[in-house]
Amino acid sequence: MIQVRNLTKRFGAKTAVNNLSFDVQPGLVTGFLGPNGAGKTTTLRAIVGLVRPDAGAVTVNGTNYHDILAPTHEVGALLEAKAYHPGRRARDHLVALAQASRIPNRRVDEVLGLVGLADAGKRKAGTFSLGMAQRLGIAAALLGDPPVLLLDEPVNGLDPEGIVWVRTLMQALAAEGRTVLVSSHLMSEMALTATHVVVIGRGKLIADSSIEELVRASSGSRVRLRTPLAGALVPHLLAAGGTVQPGDDGALMVSGLEPDAVGDIAFKAQAPVHELARLEASLEEAFMELTQEDSEFRAQGVTGAPAARQGWGAAARGGADGAGAPAGTGTGGQAGAWPGAPAGDGAPAGTSAPPAQGWPAARQGWSGPA
Amino acid sequence: MSAPTRVLGTEVRAAPRPTGEVPTLADTLRSEWTKMRTLRSTKVTLGVTALIVIGLSALITWASVASPHHGTQAFTNPLGVIQAGWGLGWLAFEVLGALVVTNEYSSGMIAATFLATPRRVRVLAAKGAVLSVVVGLLSLVMTFVNFYVGHAVLSAYPAFPEPALGDNNVLRAVLGMALTSTLMALIGFALGAVLRHTAGAITASVAVLFVLPLILQALPTSWRNPVEEYWPTQAGSQLEQVTRQAHALTAWWGTGDLALFVALLLVVAGVLLVRRDA
Ligand SMILES: Nc1ncnc2c1ncn2[C@@H]1O[C@H](COP(=O)(O)OP(=O)(O)OP(=O)(O)O)[C@@H](O)[C@H]1O
Ligand SMILES: [Mg+2]
Repeated sequence: MIQVRNLTKRFGAKTAVNNLSFDVQPGLVTGFLGPNGAGKTTTLRAIVGLVRPDAGAVTVNGTNYHDILAPTHEVGALLEAKAYHPGRRARDHLVALAQASRIPNRRVDEVLGLVGLADAGKRKAGTFSLGMAQRLGIAAALLGDPPVLLLDEPVNGLDPEGIVWVRTLMQALAAEGRTVLVSSHLMSEMALTATHVVVIGRGKLIADSSIEELVRASSGSRVRLRTPLAGALVPHLLAAGGTVQPGDDGALMVSGLEPDAVGDIAFKAQAPVHELARLEASLEEAFMELTQEDSEFRAQGVTGAPAARQGWGAAARGGADGAGAPAGTGTGGQAGAWPGAPAGDGAPAGTSAPPAQGWPAARQGWSGPA
Repeated sequence: MSAPTRVLGTEVRAAPRPTGEVPTLADTLRSEWTKMRTLRSTKVTLGVTALIVIGLSALITWASVASPHHGTQAFTNPLGVIQAGWGLGWLAFEVLGALVVTNEYSSGMIAATFLATPRRVRVLAAKGAVLSVVVGLLSLVMTFVNFYVGHAVLSAYPAFPEPALGDNNVLRAVLGMALTSTLMALIGFALGAVLRHTAGAITASVAVLFVLPLILQALPTSWRNPVEEYWPTQAGSQLEQVTRQAHALTAWWGTGDLALFVALLLVVAGVLLVRRDA
């Protein structure tokens, strides 16, 4: 159990973490999310006492990290992938860390095997690829077999197999009753790994909830309608208070109206309905929606998600928006807000992709009245 | 909960409650010794330093007696001639001392170090102790080898006197070289901990050892003498003087002066280490 209470950290004039409070529970994987520069790394470093807070406190199982007598046995952390001297052999690096914590060398060989580096232990760590560096960092974090684990972007640089491995490992560790806090800016990755998420932006707490709640609370739910008479139907939908936007393959994406209402309107307008489905916001969209205000680095001139979503919007703040609306779904316009995002998973950088990304892909199909 | 779980074919032992033993200073010392021992660059640096100091000293000794233009040094201060290459050795030890700390900052290793040992002063103490023992023992061997090599060169030229270990203050000067070298390494070490950047620490070390004493030469004598007298690296080098120099502290007062300077730097390093973010 990790407790962050009113944590504030400034770097000069810059407030990296601003009065942040949250708990991390044992037994599940908690995702720690936020755009670049949101303060995730700073918070994680504050938890283990590498950064000294300007205000507030952080405790691990009720104790300040500095006061834990055998810290490596209590908390394991992967903060930077390459937190080792490049000239030292991987195994020697772990031996030095183990000795500092009074851990026998037997455990070093154990964790090397666990992360799949058993044969690379004799190699200089400086020759490691990013993926191997991550594995070495994870090995170091696991040395003391700690009940609390902090991982700062552990899948960064891993190949698909490595990503699955880390995911499985984190879930297994949580299943054993450990507290696992893992930061990422890849929503899609968290969706597959975490049960709970803490979302921050500009150092402030934005959301602290289960992934399901986060998606449910998002206002991004829409209705997808496919009809050959789309052009004729749009005015009726707008008149009923809906907002319509062209989907891919010519379908209409309607927000602001429930599926039954959309169906009724289509029926009255005598438009044959070929498809009618409720699309729930993907986690990615929920995340974008939450953090768009707080994204520190956004490309200039890129329309934010709400604007892009307006399509033929009723709000009609600017008719130009309609024409400028990207072909994809709402989040497409936001893609540029992630200049620093790694291309790896394709998650934030891709143009929209709730369906392609699959998760938590929308309960598709007719949503009849429950 | 304690049932072993298999993760991709490997067993993960479950330990929901920490069971580890509480580490002590001895564990930190062991860890720092491993760090020192397992870097080839450290071993290479130490080896090269030893060779250069001994070789350069021998060369200077030989040159000062073999050349027809030799000065009076070889007559008045033969031990000083024998030990002539140590200035470079001191600098090398300062650099090594600095690297012991700055390496960890530049590589990011420092985070892992402080995660394992959040008591940062303990880390500083253990690092400093390991460095002192390594530099102390190596320079002890070096100084005797240096003495006998220089002695052998001088014996080949009967016109020049050879110092003997039994002569007044000669043994003190030979042994003292190991102590002064260790203190020099600690200057670099403390500067490294304060500045946290290799280049900065090395520059500062050179400044303390060579540049500032040179600048002192430009001062008017009335200012220069007292400053030079107490300038730590100048004062510390009096231990290697067989006869007391003008405008200089005695051997032991000078060494005390240097040791005090080192202690002050280490205190500053310790305070900053605890106060600053890692
Ligand atoms: N040592 C430091 N000195 C000055 N500013 C810093 C320092 N560390 C972090 N910052 C600033 O604090 C803010 C938060 O940084 P932090 O690294 O915690 O973000 P993050 O959420 O981990 O971002 P990312 O997703 O890019 O890793 C950023 O604006 C960063 O520039
Ligand atoms: Mg970060």
